[in-house]
Amino acid sequence: MTATTVTFGPYFAVVASGVLPREALPNVRQLGLFAVVAVAQGIIQGIGYLYFSRVSPQEVRTPPDERDRAIMRRSISVAYYVLIAGMIEVGVIMPFTSSGWTIINAALFTIVAAEIVRCGVIVVSYRRQAS
Amino acid sequence: MKGSLSNRIRILRFLHGEMSQAELGQRIGVTRQTIAAIEAGKYSPSLEAAFRIAHVFNVPLEEVFQWDADAPGPASAK
Repeated sequence: MTATTVTFGPYFAVVASGVLPREALPNVRQLGLFAVVAVAQGIIQGIGYLYFSRVSPQEVRTPPDERDRAIMRRSISVAYYVLIAGMIEVGVIMPFTSSGWTIINAALFTIVAAEIVRCGVIVVSYRRQAS
Repeated sequence: MKGSLSNRIRILRFLHGEMSQAELGQRIGVTRQTIAAIEAGKYSPSLEAAFRIAHVFNVPLEEVFQWDADAPGPASAK
């Protein structure tokens, strides 16, 4: 969740501020910014994995049990509604009013929002069940 | 919805040589955190896990888990 927030947060801030020129597709600058953000997210996730592998190797190696799977299922089902609502907006409504990177960014925003919701539900669920 | 599930896992662990949560978890195939959540009544285990716990302590299921139909429903146990 942290990796997604610290990478795509600034990305959408830059996109919303209108700093990037509105060029026709493929718009290499926009594509480049997206690539940098995607790579940065991967690197942060990799660092996070290595960090937790060192700090608590036992937990990293332990396969998910029934409670982990139940929490995962719940988080995915909640995130699904966010994703489907966003996809209806992007695929059904936006084509009448927008085009190009606006639609692409809206789709990306939907995916990122769904991912943040999924991670958020996981965090809240574990915190609630922690004794 | 009314009703809540309680359990005697803490007592049964004590009676079995102060068995640790980690050991119990290992024997039934869940993590220590899951045992802690079950013990605290914050997570209701699957039927299979419940039977496994009873099997570890060598007691019937109803000696481990009790259902109180009149108690107010749990707020967060899922």
